Amino acid sequence: MSALSLADLQTAFRSACLGSDSPDLAALVDGERIGADARLRIYRHHVFDSLSTALGATFSSVLSLVGEGFFRMLAREYIAHTPPSGPVLSEYGADFPDFIERHERVRDLVYLADAARLDWALTRAYGSDGGTALTAAALAAIAPEALGELRLRLRMGVSLLRSAYPVDRIWAVAHGKDDASIDLASGGVELVVFQRDDDAAFARLTRGEAAMLVACDGATGLAVALERASDADSSFDFATALPKFLNLDILAAP
Amino acid sequence: MADGAPSPLPTGIGLRARHLEELPVRKPDVGFLEIHAENYLNGGPALKRVERLRADYRFSLHAVGLSLGSAEGLDAVHLARVKALVDRLQPDLVSDHLSWSVTSATYLNDLLPLPYTEESLAVVCRNVERLQESLGRRVLVENPSSYLSFTHSTIGEAEFLAAIVARTGCGLLCDVNNIHVTCSNMRLDPTAYLDALPRSAIGEFHLAGHVINDADGETILIDDHGSRVAEPVWALLREALARFGEQPTLIEWDTDVPDLDVLIDEAARADRERRAFHMGAAA
Repeated sequence: MSALSLADLQTAFRSACLGSDSPDLAALVDGERIGADARLRIYRHHVFDSLSTALGATFSSVLSLVGEGFFRMLAREYIAHTPPSGPVLSEYGADFPDFIERHERVRDLVYLADAARLDWALTRAYGSDGGTALTAAALAAIAPEALGELRLRLRMGVSLLRSAYPVDRIWAVAHGKDDASIDLASGGVELVVFQRDDDAAFARLTRGEAAMLVACDGATGLAVALERASDADSSFDFATALPKFLNLDILAAP
Repeated sequence: MADGAPSPLPTGIGLRARHLEELPVRKPDVGFLEIHAENYLNGGPALKRVERLRADYRFSLHAVGLSLGSAEGLDAVHLARVKALVDRLQPDLVSDHLSWSVTSATYLNDLLPLPYTEESLAVVCRNVERLQESLGRRVLVENPSSYLSFTHSTIGEAEFLAAIVARTGCGLLCDVNNIHVTCSNMRLDPTAYLDALPRSAIGEFHLAGHVINDADGETILIDDHGSRVAEPVWALLREALARFGEQPTLIEWDTDVPDLDVLIDEAARADRERRAFHMGAAA
């Protein structure tokens, strides 16, 4: 058996770690006392185990809602199909919510993908540099005639989430902060997910507030964003929404 | 050194998420904190907490994802992010492992083994040189825990590490638990392993727990960083101290992370071992 180049050996090792047999690789492993397959299984086990743990840390609501055994089964399938592309594990799992949404075995848990989206948004908010938030003073310094065209942007790491289910309460139940039963038919929510000094959090938005922030995020001027907000919700009140946004530090400094 | 004088830098502990709130309040008397670079590359609240701890602690930055053994070379984007963190935190020590984890745009999140060949040596040295040039400083390369070896290896692991030092001028992070695990799994002599390492290159010791498992009916040690340091590893630390002298020493604990007091207790034991060596060396 001639040796593989290092690049080919690493490609074969990747396949072995992700679940494929690799006879070329096994032939290069010293199998004295303990066979090559058993030795390679140690690495394969660690790759799946450590990545499942990393996904469980990011998707803590999903882990809590489905239980550890089932979560590891889901994670294993996902890891084999979509291993991480880089070494920052808090950035791994961007499409795990979509994977959940498509998965036959959790089809009945209609809210699970949105719980995963909320987990992901919280992880992104926590792991973001944030940048500087818009303050009331900075806003007051803008000439009134320029306000209509003003482009308010969401602060880095802030995201918006719309769900057909009360996913904020589902998150609270998953984390032991709410023990009431939840009526899935009680209606959806619009959430904003953001960073605080020491953690990440979320808050409910009215339909009008959400429509305004979606428009801002799409680089629309303030006048148009306010129109969209009123279209979505006739009771939308900018005088209430703006202090709320400033208080949550969700808008970026210009 | 004066007889019975305290160690130059007490033993440090790995900074783990579950202790991030407790540490700044208690400020335990440990020598330094070691952080995993990949956990703090994005900024945000986690990094802010670490930066606040800089007022009270010295830091070591331990990377786990540079993949110094990748045939395809270091990832430029990841390298730039690590450099930005090094520039921001100004740690006393920077290290990664003699292993690889990246190939074909896949990160496997493990310290995977290399065949110890001239080809691998050229790859690792090129990557270490690039890392040191990028950071503008010397880095430490850590010996890995191994569960297999390749039949086409032509160089011993300790000799391979010595060759990297000779070619790149890097230092070595001597993980005493890893030497115990690897030597047990590969039936190597840990004393001979220590003897083959270049004495002046050692810049840090790591200590951690391992678990004893079974594979194909044979004992195999797994480096899980999930328990107290085992007695044979303390014994090997004494041998390492005798060869390399006192070095910044770290207690690592990554799975089933216990109360902070347990880490402090392990660090105190390491300091007792170092004091005992110090007294013996001075006598």
